[in-house]
Amino acid sequence: MSVAELKERHLAAAETVNSLKDRLKQKRLLLLDTDVAGYARSQGQTRVSFGPTDLVCCRTLQGHTGKVLFESQVYSLDWTPERNRIVSASQDGRLIVWNALTSQKTHAIKLPCAWVMTCAFSPSGQSVACGGLDSMCSIFNLNSQTDKDGNLPVSRMLSGHKGYVSSCQYVPDEDTHLITASGDQTCVLWDITTGLRTVSINGSNSRMFISGSCDSTVRLWDTRVASRASRTFHGHEGDVNSVKFFPDGYRFGTGSDDGTCRLFDIRTGHQLQEYNQQHVDNEAPHVTSIAFSTSGRLLFAGYTNGDCYVWDTLLAEKIRYAAQFQPVCPVNRLYWTWENFKILTVVGSAVWDCLLMVVPYVQEVGTQTSRSGLLEGIEESTEVGDRFLWKMSVVISPSKFLDFVCPSYGL
Amino acid sequence: MSDSKANGSAPPHLYGKRRDGARVQMLEREIAFLDEELKSLESIPPASRSCEEVAEFVIGNVDPLIPTIKKPRKSWRFWKWFCGACCFDFLWICCCSMPRCCDCTTCNSCGNPCRSCEIPACRCFPCIISKCFKKWKCSLNCCCRCLPKRSCCPTCSCTRCTCYPKCPNLKNMCSCCNKSCCFPCFFYCM
Repeated sequence: MSVAELKERHLAAAETVNSLKDRLKQKRLLLLDTDVAGYARSQGQTRVSFGPTDLVCCRTLQGHTGKVLFESQVYSLDWTPERNRIVSASQDGRLIVWNALTSQKTHAIKLPCAWVMTCAFSPSGQSVACGGLDSMCSIFNLNSQTDKDGNLPVSRMLSGHKGYVSSCQYVPDEDTHLITASGDQTCVLWDITTGLRTVSINGSNSRMFISGSCDSTVRLWDTRVASRASRTFHGHEGDVNSVKFFPDGYRFGTGSDDGTCRLFDIRTGHQLQEYNQQHVDNEAPHVTSIAFSTSGRLLFAGYTNGDCYVWDTLLAEKIRYAAQFQPVCPVNRLYWTWENFKILTVVGSAVWDCLLMVVPYVQEVGTQTSRSGLLEGIEESTEVGDRFLWKMSVVISPSKFLDFVCPSYGL
Repeated sequence: MSDSKANGSAPPHLYGKRRDGARVQMLEREIAFLDEELKSLESIPPASRSCEEVAEFVIGNVDPLIPTIKKPRKSWRFWKWFCGACCFDFLWICCCSMPRCCDCTTCNSCGNPCRSCEIPACRCFPCIISKCFKKWKCSLNCCCRCLPKRSCCPTCSCTRCTCYPKCPNLKNMCSCCNKSCCFPCFFYCM
């Protein structure tokens, strides 16, 4: 076949694909005779109501130091199946394992690559995994011995992805299998013991997982079939940032850059409900993450402006404003004091504790300083009362800065 | 291979042909999948059936977060009075709906958003030169958050770039640096 004929065939095929997609869309619309809210209202459902003392924040876990320029310093977190411990990842380059009941930190793992995007707890609670811009998934065994610097060594590195690892999760009840999702547009199922990618599991149970993507679709996968997704779900108009199974296992929820959350049905592919905030100025904040309550009645959704709302999934109404995270407000000057190995920072008029640090950012080149030399990038340090003002000429990682100015820094 | 021998065309054509051939194959595969899906739509039930299942499941299950006992009127009044009186000192029972609790940032356990507060307008990150504009929109000399998914300021340029081990190849990454490999451009694409 000649090149010209091939190009013609390509064109014709592309047109067929588009028209088929349109037909599919139309046919699906005809099948959407109602949504969950419509059905629930027709059954006389009333919305859930909370009193002022219901659903209050009981604990705040503080400990990650982070770049002040981002409102969400903690990038990812995961619970153990017993719900007694949490692992959190932040781009201060650390994974912290918390006892959720006492708020104590049990481990602080310094990561080889600070730019972490995701973390996960193994089903047994013995290991944690993380991945990020280094395109690798690192596994740490929480019971292993720390090295001479007090750091937990990496027990296994899963390499093979050609892009950043944006999400990782262990297969339920299997400490040896993990699924990662990556910016290289693939999801990989790993066998941790061999460090190899595997795309089929033994046994007759089909394991399904769902992935949300920057192409606005969500795909359902069967781990036995790597070549294609079992189903593709359309509807969102922006990157899909979060996907979670509905408690009954036959539906799932999604959160997206288009500002909406949606509920989809796995078996039919229908979009059952949309949870839309209806913003006045059309600048709806993006949904960054979602979670369902155990009955599925409540849908928690976090947004890029720091809001967290609770939705009544049946009536598609916002019940409650669950929390607001203070957007971090940097100002032109960042101050540090170094007293007794604690660093106090003053940002604007708020005083933050040692562990809520800010990172020096790029400024105009200043004059030489007597304290510089050991750490590249310090241009100037002046004493302002009992504090030091540091001016940097380059951006460095917070842990590097802290190691310099506060050698005994730790948790 | 045989084509090039026959008409003496250079290898680049062949490479392009293989690639085009692969593309056509992929499209034809997708056509088959779409046909399959269209056929399957003939036999699936409408959305109302799934909605019914969802509603039944939700109603049939107890939720630990949803209150089942109605709170007595007395304590509601007490909280109302208490919160109105002293909001600032007791962060953990701050009631943001009261006019006094206007500093929404201290009310971290509020049930309702501060109605009389105005959430402060977007405060800007300190760009080197100028302030950010509203709603984190990138414009010249503004700070855009060049994280993997976010698109970058098209007109920005990195004035001070240093190479961190290497710049990963990220989709939609900030690629507006003048220098070839700019670590700061990850985060401070200005």
